[in-house]
Amino acid sequence: MSTETTNENRSDMIVCENVDKWFGDFQALKGVSATIAEQEVVVVLGPSGSGKSTWIRCINRLEAHQQGTIIVDGVELTNDLRNIEKIRSEVGMVFQQFNLFPHISVLDNVTLAPKWVRKMPKAAAEKKAEELLEMVGIPEQAAKYPGQLSGGQQQRVAIARALAMEPRIMLFDEPTSALDPEMIKEVLDVMKDLAHGGMTMMVVTHEMGFAREVADRIIFMESGEIVESGTPEHFFTNPTEDRTKLFLSQIL
Amino acid sequence: MSETTIVETGKRPEVASSSPGEWIRKNLFSNIPNTILTIVFGVFALYAIRGLLGFILSGERRWEAVATNMRLLMAQGYPANQFVRVWVALGCLMVLTGLSLAIWNAKGQLPIKKISNWTMNIGFGLMLFAVLAPISPSSRLGWVIAGVLFLTFGFGLWMSTKNNQNRTLDSIPTVWFSFGFLGTLVLSLWIVPFGHYAFTNGELVAETGRTVAMSTKLPFTVMWVLLVCSYCVIIRVRDYLPTGQAKALLVGLWFLSPFVLNWIVLRDPDFDYGHVISTDVPVAALFIFAGGGILYLLTKPSLGELGRLTAIALLIFGVFNWVAAFFGWYPMLQKVRISFVLLALAALIAPNFAADRRTRLKFVTGWGVLIVISHWLITAVNSPSTLELQGPTYLGGFSLTLFVAVLTLLLSFPLGVLLALGRTSSMPIARVLCTGYIESIRGVPLITILFFFSNILPLFLPQGMEIAELAAIVTGYTLFSAAYLAENVRGGLQSVMRGQYEAADAIGLTTSQRTGFIVLPQALRVSIPPLVGQAIGVFKETSLVAIIGAYDILRIANNVVPAQTEFLGVKREGLLLVSVIYFIVAFSMSKYSQRLEERVGLGER
Amino acid sequence: MSTDTEVQPSNYHHQKPPFYRDATVVKWLFQVGALALVVFALWFLSSQARDNLSARNISTGFDFLSIDPGINLSEGIDTRPATGGRALWVGMVNTIRLATAGIFFATVIGLFIGLARLSNNWVVNKLGSVFVETLRNIPLLVQILLYGAILANLGDLQFDSGWDNWVIWSNKGLSVPRVFIADGFYQWAVFMCIGALAARWMYNQRSGLHDKTGENTHPGLGSFAVLTIFGIVGWFIHPIFGWVGNIFGAISDGISKVPEEVLQLVLSAVAISIAANWIRGFLASRRTPGGSARLTDDDKFRIIFAGVGSVLAILVVFVVWPGLSSWIINSSSDLFEVLENKFGDGRTGGPFGVDRPEVVKPGKFEKYGPSGLTMSLGFAAVFFGIVLYTAAFIAEIVRGGILAVPKGQIEAANSLGMKRSTALRTVILPQALRVIMPPLGNQYLNLTKNTSLAIAVGFSDLVQVGQTVGNQTGKNLSVFAIWMLFYLACSLTISVAVNFFNVRLRIVER
Repeated sequence: MSTETTNENRSDMIVCENVDKWFGDFQALKGVSATIAEQEVVVVLGPSGSGKSTWIRCINRLEAHQQGTIIVDGVELTNDLRNIEKIRSEVGMVFQQFNLFPHISVLDNVTLAPKWVRKMPKAAAEKKAEELLEMVGIPEQAAKYPGQLSGGQQQRVAIARALAMEPRIMLFDEPTSALDPEMIKEVLDVMKDLAHGGMTMMVVTHEMGFAREVADRIIFMESGEIVESGTPEHFFTNPTEDRTKLFLSQIL
Repeated sequence: MSETTIVETGKRPEVASSSPGEWIRKNLFSNIPNTILTIVFGVFALYAIRGLLGFILSGERRWEAVATNMRLLMAQGYPANQFVRVWVALGCLMVLTGLSLAIWNAKGQLPIKKISNWTMNIGFGLMLFAVLAPISPSSRLGWVIAGVLFLTFGFGLWMSTKNNQNRTLDSIPTVWFSFGFLGTLVLSLWIVPFGHYAFTNGELVAETGRTVAMSTKLPFTVMWVLLVCSYCVIIRVRDYLPTGQAKALLVGLWFLSPFVLNWIVLRDPDFDYGHVISTDVPVAALFIFAGGGILYLLTKPSLGELGRLTAIALLIFGVFNWVAAFFGWYPMLQKVRISFVLLALAALIAPNFAADRRTRLKFVTGWGVLIVISHWLITAVNSPSTLELQGPTYLGGFSLTLFVAVLTLLLSFPLGVLLALGRTSSMPIARVLCTGYIESIRGVPLITILFFFSNILPLFLPQGMEIAELAAIVTGYTLFSAAYLAENVRGGLQSVMRGQYEAADAIGLTTSQRTGFIVLPQALRVSIPPLVGQAIGVFKETSLVAIIGAYDILRIANNVVPAQTEFLGVKREGLLLVSVIYFIVAFSMSKYSQRLEERVGLGER
Repeated sequence: MSTDTEVQPSNYHHQKPPFYRDATVVKWLFQVGALALVVFALWFLSSQARDNLSARNISTGFDFLSIDPGINLSEGIDTRPATGGRALWVGMVNTIRLATAGIFFATVIGLFIGLARLSNNWVVNKLGSVFVETLRNIPLLVQILLYGAILANLGDLQFDSGWDNWVIWSNKGLSVPRVFIADGFYQWAVFMCIGALAARWMYNQRSGLHDKTGENTHPGLGSFAVLTIFGIVGWFIHPIFGWVGNIFGAISDGISKVPEEVLQLVLSAVAISIAANWIRGFLASRRTPGGSARLTDDDKFRIIFAGVGSVLAILVVFVVWPGLSSWIINSSSDLFEVLENKFGDGRTGGPFGVDRPEVVKPGKFEKYGPSGLTMSLGFAAVFFGIVLYTAAFIAEIVRGGILAVPKGQIEAANSLGMKRSTALRTVILPQALRVIMPPLGNQYLNLTKNTSLAIAVGFSDLVQVGQTVGNQTGKNLSVFAIWMLFYLACSLTISVAVNFFNVRLRIVER
């Protein structure tokens, strides 16, 4: 249970203190504590059912934690409606199943939130959306509907949609798990660009290559607890905990 | 006759399939039991058709009872000299239809092959009719000739599609086919004299020499011309029009038309212009400008909770006005009370429109339009009508059926959506209230609800407040059908994936934005087929208003016509006609819904 | 929420948000507001109704149930004593009779038409389609009136109307032979219950043998034979079960001796224990291995509401409706007394009897006395209406259910070498039934509600009787309450039955 902050000069973006979360009898998070600094890229690893997804879903309050404190960008997550609104517009989220809105076009998917939450004028929102689609490499698909795109393209639209809110933090919940192998790379490339651009990112993934290459820090979770946390070299070459070693031996 | 065509529609594919002999062997005589079935049921079917034709064409049937009372069945006691209003209303609808067909650019194509099949089916039907119907040999010959003509024409069409390989025309636009079909119907009015009737001294008397066709052929022709002309004009200039805005305008007009047209037909308010200028216009202006100003302020993006609190305060004030009205604490124009509630509701949704100046101004303009329309409607309701009434009920017949069905559908839709949202919400009390309402309404028959609203509702109203019978019926029926509608919408809501809610939350939409932009559009799309089914049900069950004493088409056919001295006890003819009318409308709606269902299914794949 | 944790971030102070921004408080305030609005509206309307009624000198209440409303019912069970309650009871029996008969025949006809629509034979198939499309697109009320008009144009009732005392038709109605429950039926029913147990034992025995040896031991046939033997033997020696009545008599006496207060206490205890149980279960679901479960505000609101609900229930039992417990005692005692009488002495006749229709006097059917099953004109019109209309919908449901069984299932059964009938019984029907049952239950509900259209042709069902009674006594509101309760009870019964069957099917499937 070590939460060492490697980047001492930057301010803390996400602070979790002893976060507990139950689903009925089942405790999904057991005293999770971690601090994530600005511009840090953290990859969360762990076997399925270990609470990784629950944790990052607690960070933009898709799930409410029951005990402990979560502070995102200086705002505590409580029942306060204003805080929830504020955090939702500062934290972007990308889902495993993309969750694009199938009944509106790609462009509308991306401009919806800027228009209605950020109150941006339509023209500005559309200009911004075109830039973002350009950035994720699919400017020509703007008029299509999500159902007409491939999985990889859909996930890139989802990233653009999240970025359109100009978030300070991006959360990725297994963004490549639902993709065919040949499409994984195009999504990971976009994520790498984002990381290099200085975005604060929390990524739940099974892509070890991505973790090794991009992550500033790797957090390993099992059965709702943080088992180990450290730099990629430390994690992959010299893990301290037995459970980490077992996990690595199973997947590598 | 139309009853037989229903039976006949089955008799078709012998010619359509490529090899008739093979088809017959496969579908009728594949083995011994099959052959027996074919013979037994074939004979049964022929006997049934013959029996039906015998019943319809029997000399004892008095079809003139129906023909004579056609106006009564369609519009009951609507004053004859005011009929021009009905035609004006119908004309408006025709123009709207024509415009919509053109703007949405209806592209449906009808294959010639299908038309030839239809033609040949009609030919077969006529031949069958000629063989089975109990008619004189000479008229039998006439029917045979007609059948042969149709068959030849259809076969010719069919051959032309088959042989001519380098043909350019293998299908024609559905729109033009429908226009042609309607045109033929209208043309028939000029040739065939359908029925005769008269309405004198409040009594219905049959009169020779004046036919339905005489009094309706000119108006119907005008209707047809309006439809075709408005289509043609718009299709010419379509490319120069801003189609998006035109579509929005047309949708708005369609939604407004039932209300406005009803006033044209039923009320045509006789305004007291002094009062309008001295009171109505200033009140409306006050709400437009003061209310618009408040809304403009409330849509300021940086407002935060203050906006919400203001809206709630307004809502409390608006509701309090009604409480005060019930207890008679202070007087206020009803219109003002309604406007305050509208203002509060607008204020509640205002934060969703907080944006740049243009969006805010648009929202305020929308408010102005809403006030103008609602104030006009309220004033129109409260003004006396110019219509001279004959007898206690002037709206009746089939137009009453349509009126009740359309109004009920329009009003119960928003209520049903709200109930469905309440039932699927995460709020326990709201859920229990909505579920309790839906289930208890669904547990009792419609007729008891209608009795409740026509007999018992007046007891519940404050003294001095009255409700017209028709309004009571529509209210009760709306509350009833909303419960069923809610269940259909709930099905759609349940089909929306969990992830859609999460994604909407994650990009920061508020609950109402999430519901309006993400959840409802998807849910409603899925529930369209069951909703159309529900609409058919509402239309059919409108017949129940006959039991509680409204003069709809069924009551006229069942009670009024058989009570006329000339047609004493002539009931079956009228009821058959009513069945056919209901069948035609319900059957075409259900066919449409089947096609919709196929299309929705295709969309999912 | 999460306020006091051990580790406090150094530079952050917890703050409870103001109440109008707290998501939970806003949510519950909104709901309590909505509830208050509904309660206020109901209170307001009922107070208006009270004022209006007293202004018109009409009292609410149910005293009309025991007063002669002065109406004449032409149809149904014995209408004596002439009270409003008895009249409504006659109406209920008529409705139930119509609904059960309708459900039975609609199911049978619907099943056949549905199968016809699946037939390969073109003529049969098309006839089925025409039946379905025609009948379901014409409003039921129009159909009922049309059938009524057609029946009313049949000939007058004569000695020679119809077929030789088997079926009689005339403009006074139809009459067919009737099978009725005679004196000995209830004793015989006891025999049949024992027979059913024995048959079940036989079935298990035979199928056990089949499993062991693999021979075809015909378990179905064997158990059917046992049941038949019991039925035949019971037909002759059933009077030996006359003593069963005494047991019911004893139970009836026992219940009538229970004091009112005891039942009131029991009912309140039940209310409290339900609430307590719910709260305990709820707390248990929130308990965690870590020990202290923190209740969110949401949870607290829920618990408060459960507690308030139980208190309200107790209030109802003691204050609002003190007569409830004595009503329960009396009616359940009466129920057992009725059962006792069914087994009384002198019930020595056969279990069933048959009456054939007979025209005693031309022009009118006899109302009482031995005769066939006579359907009045109104009954016949409504009956044909609801049967044919519902059959059209049931046919579509049956067809859809069978089409919903994937083609692969039939192919799989064929490839296993099953006979067509075996495949139908063991593979296709169980799967189709699973799809068919829920909408079928819905159709039964619709049919039951549609019997209310009987008022259009003057058949004395509950709605027609209620409407007349209400108009005579001015107690429309009370009658409406009875309507609602009756139809809700019918709906509940049918949906419970359908659900029971559904659960069974699901187990069978696994």
